[in-house]
Amino acid sequence: MSGQAATDEAGNAAGVSEGPGRSLSAGLASAAADNWPTLALLAAVLVAWEALIRLLQVSAFVVPAPSAVFRTLAAKQTQLLDAAWITGGEVLLGFFFSAITGIAVALVIARFDRFGRALYPLVVLFQTVPKVALAPIFILWFGYDLAPKIMLIVVIAFFPVALDMLAGLQSIDPSLVALMRSVGAGRTEILRRVQIPHSLPHLMSGLKIAITFSVIGAVVGEFAGASAGLGYMIQFASTQLDTPLVFAALLEVSVLGVVFFYVVELAERRFVSWVPRYERGHR
Amino acid sequence: MTSEATTAAAVIGERPGAETASAAVVRPHIHAVGIAVEFPVRRSHRRVRVLSNINLSVPKGGFVSLIGPSGCGKSTLLQVLAGLITPSEGEVQVAGMHPVQASARRLIGLVFQDATLLPWKNALDNVSFLLDVADKSRPRREVRDRAREMLRLVGLEHAAELRPAQLSGGMRQRVAIARALALDPEVLMMDEPFGALDAITREEMTAFLLEIWERTGKTIVLVTHSIDEAVFLSREVHVMATNPARIIETMAVPLGYPRNEDTYAEPAFAHAELRLRRLLKEGHRTGHRQGKPGRADGAGKAER
Ligand SMILES: Nc1ncnc2c1ncn2[C@@H]1O[C@H](COP(=O)(O)OP(=O)(O)O)[C@@H](O)[C@H]1O
Ligand SMILES: [Mg+2]
Repeated sequence: MSGQAATDEAGNAAGVSEGPGRSLSAGLASAAADNWPTLALLAAVLVAWEALIRLLQVSAFVVPAPSAVFRTLAAKQTQLLDAAWITGGEVLLGFFFSAITGIAVALVIARFDRFGRALYPLVVLFQTVPKVALAPIFILWFGYDLAPKIMLIVVIAFFPVALDMLAGLQSIDPSLVALMRSVGAGRTEILRRVQIPHSLPHLMSGLKIAITFSVIGAVVGEFAGASAGLGYMIQFASTQLDTPLVFAALLEVSVLGVVFFYVVELAERRFVSWVPRYERGHR
Repeated sequence: MTSEATTAAAVIGERPGAETASAAVVRPHIHAVGIAVEFPVRRSHRRVRVLSNINLSVPKGGFVSLIGPSGCGKSTLLQVLAGLITPSEGEVQVAGMHPVQASARRLIGLVFQDATLLPWKNALDNVSFLLDVADKSRPRREVRDRAREMLRLVGLEHAAELRPAQLSGGMRQRVAIARALALDPEVLMMDEPFGALDAITREEMTAFLLEIWERTGKTIVLVTHSIDEAVFLSREVHVMATNPARIIETMAVPLGYPRNEDTYAEPAFAHAELRLRRLLKEGHRTGHRQGKPGRADGAGKAER
């Protein structure tokens, strides 16, 4: 925590700075500027892919060329956007309930020692159950609607939230607890005023994992039984051997995942701005 | 920093010099008798004895240091004095009452080696935070005003808006001291408060602490492993040895106050340092010779 030596008191004062208050468009522009090597690499891969497909004359239903995928994207625009809308809704709802569940589990384990010690191994045990295998059961129980997908997302995505938040709640400096106790603060007050704020950076990293898990959960849930959504579309298109459509839907799923991920990261910067970050040169 | 602090002192409940009150001499401000602490050993039914038969008494307005090798039990003893650990044997009184009670009445201010500030709060909010928790009936405005005064006292009014990550180690420790003083405690208990600082900042903070003490008249108990620091600051130094931890000697420092840089050059200072060094060395030897934990206390010295 107190790694740096402190020889120069006042000189240090203005040293660290962070910029959470950037506007969204400026943020996107600078993100594009920051990530140009990634974009260049992506472009190179696409060009190589296109060239290989054309050179080897691979049939589109085995592997489509990027151009074929983009053509499908344009042609089936409305259909794909509708599907993305549905899947996106599932992801957001599922993520929301995953976050609530994960936070609640972490708080209960941290606050009630005995119960927590009993609960924790069960949570871990539950995590080792292959969740994908639960999808058909949820369909059986909850039908083909939204509910089974949300349930599936929650069982997949709550765990990283619970685990990271718990780590945050428990990694608090014992001296700080002593300080709080010395002025008569109880367990709940220490939890509320010190442990929870302290755990927020940890929570945010748990949420970043959870949002990507939520996308996977939604797609798997749609595979198991659905009549709409990107996962359904992927499955349907593959039975029709419409591989370009499969790829187009896959692309939309990924874009959805990336967008959600960066929304969570944006929230992280906004809400836990006190965590020193090393924006440049860490890659 | 010094000049502002001087003017600020008048505002902040400056206490009358403790020595002038004749009644205060009779009753020690902190009084510990026959303290022993045992901790359970993990995965066994044994208990390890960390402190044994500690007797300690600190007069009101006194400045005492506890010095001893790492791991000897200084922090444990301080936590007993602060009421954070209940001793297995013995009794502690702070300001005539049980330390937990004294804590609840905000008579005890604590400072640790790491400043233990809340990284999401700025310096001002860090100072007001504990008072806010301790005294919920006090209006927010008043708490903030007091926090501001305390920041001024430690010379950091210009840094009120900065977060801990933006402060140097010395500044963070000043904030921690301001936070403790905000409670307006009678006793300040500090556990190696400058242990994580570099030598130059450390010396500066030592002088700063002495100034705070002279101005506020608080009773201060300082845990340290620096011989320099102990002699320069304290009126009395308790030397501790290990296995189990006990106070092997209480040494009065034969130097008057006020003390300043010149104090380091005084023969009495060098003499006290040498004496302390020898005591620590001796304590170290007897501690090792005694070896096995749980042996009766005091036997080590007799063996020589
Ligand atoms: N909660 C605890 N449980 C068991 N042993 C402890 C506990 N706290 C401290 N100890 C042991 O007590 C001894 C003294 O520790 P401490 O008071 O921190 O020493 P110091 O502050 O002098 O370095 C050490 O050997 C330490 O391992
Ligand atoms: Mg210690």
